[in-house]
Amino acid sequence: MRSIDRLFEHSSRSLAQRTSRRSVLAGLGRLLMGAAVLPLLPIDRGSRAAAAEATAPGKSAADNPESCEYWKYCAIDGFLCSCCGGSSHSCPPGTAPSPITWIGTCRNPADSRDYIVSYNDCCGKTSCGNCECNRNEREKPMYRLSRNNDVNWCMANADSNYHCSVSVILGVSEQ
Amino acid sequence: MPVDWGLSMRTHLVGAALLCLLGCQALPAAPPLPSEHLTVEKLGPKNPHWVYVVDEAFYNEIDSRVDLYDGDNYRTLGQIDAGFNPGVNLSPDGATTVVTTTYFARGSHGARTDVVEFIDNTTLSVTGEIVLPPKHANTMPTYFNIGYSTDSRFLYVSYVTPASSFGVLDPAKKSVLGEIDTAGCVLVIPSGPNRVSSICESGRLLTVTLDADGHEASRALSEPFFDADTDPIFVQGVPTTDGYLFLSFLGQVHEVDFTASQPAFRKPWSILNAADIKEHWRPGGQTVGALHRGLGRLYVPMHRGGEGSHKQGGTEIWVFDMKTHERIARWPLASQKIDPVVAIQVSQDAEPIVFAATEKSDVAVLDARSGRLRHLQKQLGQTAWFFLNP
Repeated sequence: MRSIDRLFEHSSRSLAQRTSRRSVLAGLGRLLMGAAVLPLLPIDRGSRAAAAEATAPGKSAADNPESCEYWKYCAIDGFLCSCCGGSSHSCPPGTAPSPITWIGTCRNPADSRDYIVSYNDCCGKTSCGNCECNRNEREKPMYRLSRNNDVNWCMANADSNYHCSVSVILGVSEQ
Repeated sequence: MPVDWGLSMRTHLVGAALLCLLGCQALPAAPPLPSEHLTVEKLGPKNPHWVYVVDEAFYNEIDSRVDLYDGDNYRTLGQIDAGFNPGVNLSPDGATTVVTTTYFARGSHGARTDVVEFIDNTTLSVTGEIVLPPKHANTMPTYFNIGYSTDSRFLYVSYVTPASSFGVLDPAKKSVLGEIDTAGCVLVIPSGPNRVSSICESGRLLTVTLDADGHEASRALSEPFFDADTDPIFVQGVPTTDGYLFLSFLGQVHEVDFTASQPAFRKPWSILNAADIKEHWRPGGQTVGALHRGLGRLYVPMHRGGEGSHKQGGTEIWVFDMKTHERIARWPLASQKIDPVVAIQVSQDAEPIVFAATEKSDVAVLDARSGRLRHLQKQLGQTAWFFLNP
Protein backbone atom coordinates (compact mmCIF):
# COMPACT_ATOMS: atom_id res chain seq x y z
CA MET A 1 0.00 0.00 0.00
CA ARG A 2 2.93 2.32 0.56
CA SER A 3 3.49 2.39 -3.17
CA ILE A 4 -0.09 3.27 -3.93
CA ASP A 5 -0.01 5.96 -1.26
CA ARG A 6 3.06 7.35 -2.93
CA LEU A 7 1.40 7.38 -6.34
CA PHE A 8 -1.55 9.33 -4.99
CA GLU A 9 0.76 11.65 -3.12
CA HIS A 10 2.62 12.40 -6.35
CA SER A 11 -0.60 12.86 -8.25
CA SER A 12 -2.04 15.29 -5.77
CA ARG A 13 1.22 17.20 -5.54
CA SER A 14 1.27 17.63 -9.28
CA LEU A 15 -2.39 18.64 -9.40
CA ALA A 16 -1.80 21.17 -6.66
CA GLN A 17 0.70 22.93 -8.85
CA ARG A 18 -1.90 23.45 -11.51
CA THR A 19 -5.18 23.88 -9.66
CA SER A 20 -6.69 25.39 -6.54
CA ARG A 21 -6.83 23.43 -3.28
CA ARG A 22 -10.61 23.26 -3.48
CA SER A 23 -10.62 21.74 -6.94
CA VAL A 24 -7.93 19.27 -5.91
CA LEU A 25 -10.07 18.10 -3.01
CA ALA A 26 -13.10 17.86 -5.25
CA GLY A 27 -11.12 15.95 -7.85
CA LEU A 28 -9.55 13.61 -5.34
CA GLY A 29 -12.93 12.93 -3.80
CA ARG A 30 -14.21 11.85 -7.16
CA LEU A 31 -11.06 9.92 -7.84
CA LEU A 32 -11.39 7.97 -4.61
CA MET A 33 -15.03 7.33 -5.34
CA GLY A 34 -14.01 6.05 -8.77
CA ALA A 35 -11.34 3.93 -7.17
CA ALA A 36 -13.94 2.28 -4.95
CA VAL A 37 -16.10 1.40 -7.93
CA LEU A 38 -13.34 0.43 -10.36
CA PRO A 39 -10.68 -1.71 -8.76
CA LEU A 40 -8.06 1.00 -9.44
CA LEU A 41 -6.55 1.25 -12.80
CA PRO A 42 -3.49 2.01 -14.95
CA ILE A 43 -2.18 2.82 -18.41
CA ASP A 44 0.85 1.97 -20.28
CA ARG A 45 3.98 2.33 -22.06
CA GLY A 46 5.83 4.09 -24.78
CA SER A 47 5.85 3.57 -28.45
CA ARG A 48 5.99 5.42 -31.68
CA ALA A 49 3.80 7.76 -33.62
CA ALA A 50 0.10 7.96 -33.04
CA ALA A 51 -1.83 5.74 -35.42
CA ALA A 52 -5.24 7.32 -35.75
CA GLU A 53 -7.86 4.95 -37.03
CA ALA A 54 -10.39 5.70 -39.68
CA THR A 55 -13.30 7.65 -38.30
CA ALA A 56 -16.87 6.47 -38.78
CA PRO A 57 -18.91 8.64 -41.17
CA GLY A 58 -20.57 11.56 -39.40
CA LYS A 59 -18.25 11.36 -36.40
CA SER A 60 -15.27 13.55 -35.78
CA ALA A 61 -12.07 11.84 -34.63
CA ALA A 62 -12.38 13.59 -31.26
CA ASP A 63 -15.75 11.83 -30.75
CA ASN A 64 -14.69 8.38 -31.87
CA PRO A 65 -13.37 6.04 -29.14
CA GLU A 66 -11.67 3.95 -31.82
CA SER A 67 -9.62 6.95 -32.92
CA CYS A 68 -6.37 8.03 -31.28
CA GLU A 69 -7.71 11.57 -31.55
CA TYR A 70 -10.59 10.78 -29.17
CA TRP A 71 -10.54 13.53 -26.56
CA LYS A 72 -10.14 11.18 -23.57
CA TYR A 73 -6.91 9.73 -24.97
CA CYS A 74 -4.80 12.90 -24.59
CA ALA A 75 -1.95 11.03 -22.88
CA ILE A 76 -2.55 7.40 -23.79
CA ASP A 77 0.35 5.40 -25.12
CA GLY A 78 -0.41 1.88 -26.21
CA PHE A 79 -3.17 -0.04 -28.00
CA LEU A 80 -6.75 1.21 -27.66
CA CYS A 81 -8.92 -1.37 -25.87
CA SER A 82 -11.88 -0.07 -27.89
CA CYS A 83 -10.26 -1.76 -30.92
CA CYS A 84 -9.50 -4.96 -28.97
CA GLY A 85 -12.92 -6.09 -27.71
CA GLY A 86 -13.29 -3.54 -24.93
CA SER A 87 -14.27 0.12 -24.97
CA SER A 88 -12.71 3.40 -23.92
CA HIS A 89 -13.54 2.44 -20.31
CA SER A 90 -13.76 -1.37 -20.28
CA CYS A 91 -11.25 -4.16 -20.72
CA PRO A 92 -11.65 -6.87 -23.36
CA PRO A 93 -13.01 -10.27 -22.25
CA GLY A 94 -10.52 -12.43 -20.43
CA THR A 95 -8.21 -9.60 -19.43
CA ALA A 96 -7.88 -7.92 -16.04
CA PRO A 97 -7.59 -4.23 -15.21
CA SER A 98 -4.42 -3.51 -13.31
CA PRO A 99 -4.70 -2.51 -9.64
CA ILE A 100 -2.52 0.58 -10.01
CA THR A 101 -3.05 3.61 -12.16
CA TRP A 102 -2.03 7.07 -13.10
CA ILE A 103 -4.33 9.99 -13.73
CA GLY A 104 -4.37 12.88 -16.14
CA THR A 105 -6.57 15.69 -17.33
CA CYS A 106 -8.13 15.91 -20.80
CA ARG A 107 -10.38 18.62 -22.22
CA ASN A 108 -13.65 17.54 -23.81
CA PRO A 109 -14.21 19.86 -26.78
CA ALA A 110 -17.96 19.10 -26.69
CA ASP A 111 -18.50 20.84 -23.33
CA SER A 112 -15.14 22.62 -22.92
CA ARG A 113 -14.64 20.98 -19.53
CA ASP A 114 -11.44 19.45 -18.24
CA TYR A 115 -11.96 15.91 -16.97
CA ILE A 116 -9.77 13.93 -14.63
CA VAL A 117 -9.24 10.59 -16.30
CA SER A 118 -7.62 7.42 -15.12
CA TYR A 119 -5.40 5.69 -17.65
CA ASN A 120 -5.61 1.95 -17.19
CA ASP A 121 -3.95 -1.02 -18.76
CA CYS A 122 -5.80 -4.25 -19.36
CA CYS A 123 -3.57 -7.18 -18.58
CA GLY A 124 -2.99 -10.90 -18.93
CA LYS A 125 -2.85 -11.39 -22.70
CA THR A 126 -0.18 -10.51 -25.22
CA SER A 127 -0.16 -7.14 -27.07
CA CYS A 128 -3.48 -6.47 -28.81
CA GLY A 129 -1.68 -4.74 -31.67
CA ASN A 130 -4.72 -2.78 -32.93
CA CYS A 131 -5.08 1.01 -32.97
CA GLU A 132 -1.68 1.97 -31.62
CA CYS A 133 -1.92 5.40 -30.07
CA ASN A 134 0.85 7.56 -28.63
CA ARG A 135 -0.22 10.88 -27.13
CA ASN A 136 1.64 12.51 -24.31
CA GLU A 137 -0.01 15.73 -23.15
CA ARG A 138 1.43 16.53 -19.71
CA GLU A 139 3.11 13.13 -19.63
CA LYS A 140 6.37 13.10 -17.65
CA PRO A 141 9.40 10.81 -17.55
CA MET A 142 9.65 7.83 -15.27
CA TYR A 143 10.97 9.74 -12.24
CA ARG A 144 7.47 11.20 -11.97
CA LEU A 145 5.85 7.81 -12.12
CA SER A 146 2.34 9.05 -11.41
CA ARG A 147 2.48 10.93 -14.75
CA ASN A 148 4.35 8.38 -16.82
CA ASN A 149 3.00 6.18 -19.59
CA ASP A 150 6.26 4.41 -20.45
CA VAL A 151 6.03 1.85 -17.68
CA ASN A 152 3.88 -1.24 -17.87
CA TRP A 153 1.08 -0.52 -15.42
CA CYS A 154 0.22 -4.22 -15.45
CA MET A 155 3.45 -4.68 -13.48
CA ALA A 156 1.66 -5.55 -10.23
CA ASN A 157 -0.92 -7.91 -11.76
CA ALA A 158 -0.81 -11.65 -11.24
CA ASP A 159 -0.58 -11.86 -15.04
CA SER A 160 1.50 -8.79 -15.81
CA ASN A 161 1.48 -9.00 -19.59
CA TYR A 162 0.24 -5.82 -21.28
CA HIS A 163 -2.71 -6.07 -23.67
CA CYS A 164 -4.30 -2.63 -24.20
CA SER A 165 -5.14 0.72 -22.56
CA VAL A 166 -8.31 2.60 -21.59
CA SER A 167 -9.14 6.05 -20.25
CA VAL A 168 -11.86 6.27 -17.58
CA ILE A 169 -13.55 9.51 -16.52
CA LEU A 170 -13.26 10.06 -12.77
CA GLY A 171 -14.79 13.50 -12.61
CA VAL A 172 -14.67 17.09 -13.74
CA SER A 173 -11.55 19.04 -12.91
CA GLU A 174 -13.00 22.29 -11.55
CA GLN A 175 -10.90 25.39 -11.91
CA MET B 1 -17.89 -20.20 -71.74
CA PRO B 2 -15.56 -22.23 -69.47
CA VAL B 3 -12.09 -22.96 -70.77
CA ASP B 4 -10.84 -26.54 -70.65
CA TRP B 5 -7.67 -25.67 -68.70
CA GLY B 6 -6.82 -29.36 -68.18
CA LEU B 7 -6.52 -30.05 -71.90
CA SER B 8 -4.76 -26.77 -72.52
CA MET B 9 -2.21 -27.37 -69.74
CA ARG B 10 -1.53 -30.90 -70.96
CA THR B 11 -0.94 -29.61 -74.48
CA HIS B 12 1.51 -27.01 -73.21
CA LEU B 13 3.39 -29.50 -71.07
CA VAL B 14 3.85 -31.90 -73.97
CA GLY B 15 5.09 -29.06 -76.18
CA ALA B 16 7.48 -27.82 -73.53
CA ALA B 17 8.87 -31.31 -72.95
CA LEU B 18 9.58 -31.75 -76.68
CA LEU B 19 11.30 -28.37 -76.90
CA CYS B 20 13.37 -29.16 -73.82
CA LEU B 21 14.50 -32.47 -75.24
CA LEU B 22 15.68 -30.79 -78.43
CA GLY B 23 17.34 -27.95 -76.55
CA CYS B 24 18.93 -30.10 -73.90
CA GLN B 25 20.70 -32.18 -76.45
CA ALA B 26 22.39 -29.04 -77.78
CA LEU B 27 23.76 -27.88 -74.34
CA PRO B 28 26.73 -29.40 -72.46
CA ALA B 29 25.62 -31.03 -69.20
CA ALA B 30 26.31 -28.68 -66.23
CA PRO B 31 28.01 -30.33 -63.24
CA PRO B 32 25.62 -30.93 -60.33
CA LEU B 33 25.80 -28.66 -57.31
CA PRO B 34 28.06 -30.01 -54.58
CA SER B 35 26.46 -31.43 -51.46
CA GLU B 36 26.29 -28.98 -48.53
CA HIS B 37 27.12 -29.30 -44.86
CA LEU B 38 24.87 -27.62 -42.35
CA THR B 39 26.96 -25.44 -40.05
CA VAL B 40 26.51 -22.62 -37.55
CA GLU B 41 28.02 -19.27 -38.45
CA LYS B 42 30.72 -17.85 -36.24
CA LEU B 43 31.01 -14.15 -35.70
CA GLY B 44 34.23 -12.52 -36.84
CA PRO B 45 36.16 -10.10 -34.63
CA LYS B 46 33.95 -7.28 -33.45
CA ASN B 47 33.89 -4.17 -35.53
CA PRO B 48 33.17 -0.61 -34.35
CA HIS B 49 30.60 -0.39 -37.12
CA TRP B 50 28.51 -3.17 -35.61
CA VAL B 51 25.59 -2.11 -33.50
CA TYR B 52 23.18 -3.88 -31.15
CA VAL B 53 19.64 -2.85 -32.13
CA VAL B 54 17.19 -3.23 -29.24
CA ASP B 55 13.79 -4.05 -30.75
CA GLU B 56 10.99 -3.76 -28.20
CA ALA B 57 8.73 -5.72 -30.61
CA PHE B 58 5.85 -3.64 -29.36
CA TYR B 59 3.21 -5.49 -31.40
CA ASN B 60 4.06 -8.77 -29.66
CA GLU B 61 6.01 -7.50 -26.74
CA ILE B 62 6.79 -10.85 -25.14
CA ASP B 63 9.14 -11.47 -28.04
CA SER B 64 11.54 -8.54 -27.83
CA ARG B 65 14.98 -9.10 -29.30
CA VAL B 66 18.35 -7.52 -29.95
CA ASP B 67 19.69 -7.68 -33.49
CA LEU B 68 23.41 -7.43 -34.08
CA TYR B 69 23.73 -5.39 -37.27
CA ASP B 70 26.76 -4.72 -39.45
CA GLY B 71 26.82 -1.07 -40.56
CA ASP B 72 29.48 -1.71 -43.22
CA ASN B 73 27.92 -4.65 -45.00
CA TYR B 74 24.30 -3.84 -44.09
CA ARG B 75 23.58 -7.32 -42.80
CA THR B 76 22.03 -8.74 -39.66
CA LEU B 77 24.69 -10.91 -38.06
CA GLY B 78 22.55 -12.58 -35.43
CA GLN B 79 19.95 -12.17 -32.70
CA ILE B 80 19.72 -12.17 -28.93
CA ASP B 81 16.31 -13.04 -27.45
CA ALA B 82 15.08 -10.48 -24.95
CA GLY B 83 11.64 -11.52 -23.62
CA PHE B 84 9.21 -8.91 -22.29
CA ASN B 85 10.08 -5.25 -21.57
CA PRO B 86 13.81 -5.92 -21.51
CA GLY B 87 16.66 -3.80 -20.25
CA VAL B 88 19.87 -4.43 -22.19
CA ASN B 89 23.47 -3.41 -21.67
CA LEU B 90 27.04 -4.63 -22.23
CA SER B 91 29.79 -5.54 -19.80
CA PRO B 92 32.63 -2.97 -19.59
CA ASP B 93 34.87 -5.19 -21.77
CA GLY B 94 32.09 -5.65 -24.34
CA ALA B 95 32.36 -9.45 -24.13
CA THR B 96 28.95 -9.99 -22.57
CA THR B 97 25.46 -8.70 -23.23
CA VAL B 98 23.17 -8.68 -20.20
CA VAL B 99 19.41 -8.76 -20.62
CA THR B 100 17.04 -8.20 -17.71
CA THR B 101 13.59 -9.36 -18.66
CA THR B 102 10.40 -11.22 -17.82
CA TYR B 103 9.17 -14.58 -19.10
CA PHE B 104 5.72 -16.04 -18.56
CA ALA B 105 5.32 -19.78 -17.95
CA ARG B 106 2.75 -20.22 -20.74
CA GLY B 107 4.26 -17.84 -23.27
CA SER B 108 1.92 -14.87 -22.96
CA HIS B 109 0.56 -15.69 -19.50
CA GLY B 110 1.19 -17.81 -16.45
CA ALA B 111 3.74 -17.51 -13.68
CA ARG B 112 6.14 -14.62 -14.09
CA THR B 113 9.88 -15.19 -13.91
CA ASP B 114 12.22 -12.20 -13.94
CA VAL B 115 15.76 -12.98 -14.88
CA VAL B 116 19.07 -11.56 -16.01
CA GLU B 117 20.53 -13.51 -18.91
CA PHE B 118 24.21 -13.39 -19.86
CA ILE B 119 25.06 -13.69 -23.54
CA ASP B 120 28.50 -14.43 -24.91
CA ASN B 121 28.99 -11.82 -27.62
CA THR B 122 31.30 -14.05 -29.63
CA THR B 123 28.62 -16.73 -30.06
CA LEU B 124 25.37 -14.92 -29.15
CA SER B 125 24.56 -17.89 -26.89
CA VAL B 126 23.08 -17.62 -23.41
CA THR B 127 25.81 -18.70 -21.00
CA GLY B 128 24.14 -18.11 -17.65
CA GLU B 129 21.36 -16.45 -15.73
CA ILE B 130 20.34 -15.02 -12.39
CA VAL B 131 16.69 -15.34 -11.34
CA LEU B 132 15.42 -12.07 -9.85
CA PRO B 133 12.51 -11.17 -7.63
CA PRO B 134 9.61 -10.24 -9.97
CA LYS B 135 10.49 -6.55 -9.89
CA HIS B 136 12.59 -5.60 -12.90
CA ALA B 137 11.47 -2.22 -14.24
CA ASN B 138 9.01 -2.82 -17.10
CA THR B 139 9.82 0.24 -19.15
CA MET B 140 11.54 1.54 -22.26
CA PRO B 141 15.15 0.54 -22.91
CA THR B 142 17.86 2.96 -21.74
CA TYR B 143 21.45 2.62 -20.52
CA PHE B 144 20.07 2.68 -16.98
CA ASN B 145 17.76 -0.35 -16.76
CA ILE B 146 20.73 -2.60 -16.03
CA GLY B 147 24.43 -1.83 -15.73
CA TYR B 148 27.80 -3.02 -14.44
CA SER B 149 30.16 -1.36 -11.99
CA THR B 150 33.29 -0.18 -13.82
CA ASP B 151 35.30 -3.16 -12.48
CA SER B 152 32.50 -5.65 -13.36
CA ARG B 153 32.31 -6.76 -9.71
CA PHE B 154 28.65 -5.76 -9.38
CA LEU B 155 25.68 -5.73 -11.70
CA TYR B 156 22.72 -3.47 -10.90
CA VAL B 157 19.13 -3.91 -12.05
CA SER B 158 16.43 -1.26 -11.77
CA TYR B 159 13.27 -2.43 -9.96
CA VAL B 160 9.82 -0.80 -10.07
CA THR B 161 6.81 -2.46 -8.44
CA PRO B 162 5.85 0.58 -8.53
CA ALA B 163 7.98 1.18 -5.43
CA SER B 164 11.46 1.85 -6.75
CA SER B 165 14.67 0.14 -5.73
CA PHE B 166 17.53 -1.71 -7.38
CA GLY B 167 19.01 -5.14 -7.16
CA VAL B 168 22.72 -5.70 -6.58
CA LEU B 169 23.98 -8.87 -8.28
CA ASP B 170 27.25 -10.76 -8.39
CA PRO B 171 27.80 -11.56 -12.08
CA ALA B 172 30.72 -13.90 -11.37
CA LYS B 173 28.88 -16.06 -8.84
CA LYS B 174 25.53 -15.55 -10.60
CA SER B 175 23.79 -14.54 -7.40
CA VAL B 176 21.62 -11.78 -5.98
CA LEU B 177 23.46 -9.90 -3.24
CA GLY B 178 20.64 -7.65 -2.13
CA GLU B 179 18.12 -4.92 -2.85
CA ILE B 180 18.43 -1.21 -2.05
CA ASP B 181 15.45 1.11 -1.72
CA THR B 182 15.78 4.35 -3.68
CA ALA B 183 12.99 6.36 -2.05
CA GLY B 184 11.08 7.06 -5.25
CA CYS B 185 14.15 7.76 -7.39
CA VAL B 186 14.46 5.57 -10.47
CA LEU B 187 16.91 3.70 -12.70
CA VAL B 188 20.55 2.75 -12.13
CA ILE B 189 23.43 4.94 -13.27
CA PRO B 190 26.58 3.09 -12.23
CA SER B 191 29.82 4.95 -11.60
CA GLY B 192 33.16 3.78 -10.28
CA PRO B 193 33.47 0.39 -8.63
CA ASN B 194 30.69 0.84 -6.07
CA ARG B 195 28.34 3.76 -6.74
CA VAL B 196 24.82 3.86 -8.18
CA SER B 197 22.86 7.04 -8.91
CA SER B 198 19.12 7.27 -9.51
CA ILE B 199 17.04 10.14 -10.92
CA CYS B 200 14.55 11.76 -8.56
CA GLU B 201 11.35 13.68 -9.20
CA SER B 202 12.82 16.58 -7.22
CA GLY B 203 15.41 17.07 -9.98
CA ARG B 204 18.19 15.59 -7.82
CA LEU B 205 20.34 12.49 -8.11
CA LEU B 206 20.40 9.99 -5.28
CA THR B 207 23.81 8.32 -5.06
CA VAL B 208 24.19 5.13 -3.04
CA THR B 209 27.72 3.92 -2.24
CA LEU B 210 28.15 0.20 -1.58
CA ASP B 211 30.51 -1.70 0.66
CA ALA B 212 32.64 -4.62 -0.50
CA ASP B 213 29.71 -7.02 -0.07
CA GLY B 214 27.36 -4.95 -2.19
CA HIS B 215 25.38 -3.59 0.72
CA GLU B 216 24.61 0.08 1.24
CA ALA B 217 27.42 1.96 2.96
CA SER B 218 26.09 5.50 2.52
CA ARG B 219 23.76 7.62 0.45
CA ALA B 220 23.58 11.27 -0.56
CA LEU B 221 21.19 13.52 -2.46
CA SER B 222 22.59 16.08 -4.88
CA GLU B 223 21.31 19.59 -5.34
CA PRO B 224 18.52 19.85 -7.92
CA PHE B 225 19.89 20.13 -11.45
CA PHE B 226 16.60 20.21 -13.42
CA ASP B 227 12.96 21.07 -12.82
CA ALA B 228 10.49 18.26 -13.55
CA ASP B 229 7.62 20.76 -13.81
CA THR B 230 9.03 23.38 -16.13
CA ASP B 231 11.61 21.48 -18.20
CA PRO B 232 11.98 17.76 -17.45
CA ILE B 233 15.03 15.85 -18.62
CA PHE B 234 14.70 12.75 -20.75
CA VAL B 235 15.88 9.71 -18.78
CA GLN B 236 17.76 8.47 -21.84
CA GLY B 237 21.22 9.70 -20.87
CA VAL B 238 24.03 9.93 -23.42
CA PRO B 239 27.48 8.60 -22.43
CA THR B 240 30.20 11.28 -22.32
CA THR B 241 33.91 11.08 -21.51
CA ASP B 242 33.32 11.48 -17.76
CA GLY B 243 29.68 10.56 -17.26
CA TYR B 244 26.43 11.26 -19.05
CA LEU B 245 24.57 14.19 -20.54
CA PHE B 246 20.81 14.56 -20.29
CA LEU B 247 18.73 16.53 -22.77
CA SER B 248 15.65 18.31 -21.54
CA PHE B 249 12.30 18.59 -23.30
CA LEU B 250 13.09 22.23 -24.13
CA GLY B 251 16.60 21.57 -25.43
CA GLN B 252 18.85 22.18 -22.43
CA VAL B 253 21.96 20.01 -22.14
CA HIS B 254 22.80 18.91 -18.58
CA GLU B 255 26.28 17.39 -18.40
CA VAL B 256 26.97 15.34 -15.30
CA ASP B 257 30.47 14.26 -14.28
CA PHE B 258 30.27 10.94 -12.46
CA THR B 259 33.99 10.41 -11.86
CA ALA B 260 34.12 11.64 -8.23
CA SER B 261 32.37 10.28 -5.17
CA GLN B 262 29.37 12.52 -5.86
CA PRO B 263 28.06 13.67 -9.25
CA ALA B 264 29.08 17.16 -10.40
CA PHE B 265 26.94 19.29 -12.70
CA ARG B 266 28.29 21.55 -15.39
CA LYS B 267 26.46 24.71 -16.32
CA PRO B 268 23.59 23.71 -18.63
CA TRP B 269 23.58 24.99 -22.19
CA SER B 270 20.91 25.15 -24.87
CA ILE B 271 20.86 23.53 -28.28
CA LEU B 272 18.31 26.12 -29.40
CA ASN B 273 18.80 29.74 -30.46
CA ALA B 274 16.05 32.35 -30.45
CA ALA B 275 14.93 31.51 -33.99
CA ASP B 276 14.78 27.78 -33.19
CA ILE B 277 12.63 28.47 -30.14
CA LYS B 278 10.32 30.66 -32.19
CA GLU B 279 9.91 27.81 -34.67
CA HIS B 280 9.20 25.35 -31.82
CA TRP B 281 12.12 23.02 -32.50
CA ARG B 282 12.56 20.35 -29.81
CA PRO B 283 14.43 17.11 -29.25
CA GLY B 284 12.29 13.98 -29.05
CA GLY B 285 11.95 10.25 -29.57
CA GLN B 286 12.87 7.10 -27.67
CA THR B 287 16.65 7.69 -27.69
CA VAL B 288 17.16 11.42 -27.98
CA GLY B 289 20.88 11.83 -28.50
CA ALA B 290 24.23 10.24 -29.30
CA LEU B 291 27.76 11.54 -28.77
CA HIS B 292 30.99 10.78 -30.59
CA ARG B 293 33.25 11.17 -27.60
CA GLY B 294 36.47 11.54 -29.62
CA LEU B 295 35.16 14.18 -32.00
CA GLY B 296 33.00 15.85 -29.37
CA ARG B 297 29.97 15.83 -31.66
CA LEU B 298 26.45 15.48 -30.34
CA TYR B 299 23.69 14.21 -32.64
CA VAL B 300 20.07 15.00 -31.76
CA PRO B 301 16.84 14.11 -33.64
CA MET B 302 14.79 17.34 -33.76
CA HIS B 303 11.15 18.06 -34.58
CA ARG B 304 8.82 21.04 -34.46
CA GLY B 305 6.38 20.42 -31.63
CA GLY B 306 4.99 21.59 -28.33
CA GLU B 307 3.48 20.25 -25.12
CA GLY B 308 3.32 16.47 -25.34
CA SER B 309 5.51 16.11 -28.44
CA HIS B 310 8.54 14.75 -26.56
CA LYS B 311 8.28 11.26 -28.07
CA GLN B 312 7.83 12.55 -31.61
CA GLY B 313 10.49 11.51 -34.11
CA GLY B 314 12.98 14.01 -35.50
CA THR B 315 12.47 15.34 -39.01
CA GLU B 316 16.07 16.57 -38.88
CA ILE B 317 19.24 15.53 -37.09
CA TRP B 318 21.18 18.43 -35.63
CA VAL B 319 24.89 18.17 -34.89
CA PHE B 320 26.58 20.16 -32.12
CA ASP B 321 30.17 20.78 -31.06
CA MET B 322 30.48 19.92 -27.37
CA LYS B 323 33.26 22.47 -26.79
CA THR B 324 31.77 25.53 -28.47
CA HIS B 325 28.13 24.43 -28.05
CA GLU B 326 27.61 25.62 -31.62
CA ARG B 327 25.37 23.80 -34.04
CA ILE B 328 27.61 22.66 -36.87
CA ALA B 329 25.08 20.93 -39.11
CA ARG B 330 21.39 20.34 -39.77
CA TRP B 331 20.51 17.21 -41.67
CA PRO B 332 16.98 17.27 -43.07
CA LEU B 333 15.78 13.68 -43.39
CA ALA B 334 12.81 13.79 -45.76
CA SER B 335 15.06 14.85 -48.64
CA GLN B 336 16.94 11.56 -48.19
CA LYS B 337 13.62 9.69 -47.96
CA ILE B 338 14.16 8.92 -44.26
CA ASP B 339 11.08 8.96 -42.01
CA PRO B 340 11.19 10.78 -38.65
CA VAL B 341 13.92 9.36 -36.43
CA VAL B 342 13.11 8.04 -32.93
CA ALA B 343 16.47 6.55 -31.92
CA ILE B 344 20.09 7.39 -32.71
CA GLN B 345 23.62 6.13 -32.11
CA VAL B 346 27.08 6.95 -33.48
CA SER B 347 30.05 4.60 -33.76
CA GLN B 348 33.10 5.69 -31.77
CA ASP B 349 35.84 5.08 -34.38
CA ALA B 350 37.77 7.54 -36.55
CA GLU B 351 35.49 7.00 -39.56
CA PRO B 352 32.20 7.15 -37.71
CA ILE B 353 28.74 6.29 -38.90
CA VAL B 354 25.41 7.29 -37.42
CA PHE B 355 22.61 4.77 -36.97
CA ALA B 356 19.15 6.34 -37.00
CA ALA B 357 15.99 4.28 -36.43
CA THR B 358 12.75 5.64 -37.83
CA GLU B 359 9.16 5.48 -36.62
CA LYS B 360 8.66 2.57 -39.03
CA SER B 361 11.74 0.81 -37.67
CA ASP B 362 13.88 1.40 -40.75
CA VAL B 363 17.52 1.96 -39.82
CA ALA B 364 19.44 4.61 -41.75
CA VAL B 365 23.23 4.37 -41.85
CA LEU B 366 24.69 7.85 -42.34
CA ASP B 367 28.18 9.24 -42.68
CA ALA B 368 28.71 10.90 -39.28
CA ARG B 369 30.74 13.77 -40.76
CA SER B 370 28.56 14.71 -43.71
CA GLY B 371 25.14 13.23 -42.96
CA ARG B 372 25.15 11.50 -46.32
CA LEU B 373 22.92 8.44 -46.41
CA ARG B 374 24.94 5.31 -47.00
CA HIS B 375 22.15 2.79 -46.63
CA LEU B 376 18.54 2.52 -45.53
CA GLN B 377 17.75 -0.86 -43.99
CA LYS B 378 14.01 -1.31 -44.28
CA GLN B 379 12.14 -2.73 -41.30
CA LEU B 380 14.89 -3.88 -38.98
CA GLY B 381 12.47 -5.42 -36.49
CA GLN B 382 9.21 -3.79 -35.38
CA THR B 383 10.23 -1.03 -33.01
CA ALA B 384 13.96 -0.32 -32.87
CA TRP B 385 14.19 2.12 -29.95
CA PHE B 386 17.72 1.81 -28.59
CA PHE B 387 21.21 1.10 -29.93
CA LEU B 388 24.34 -0.07 -28.15
CA ASN B 389 27.84 0.22 -29.59
CA PRO B 390 29.81 -3.06 -29.42
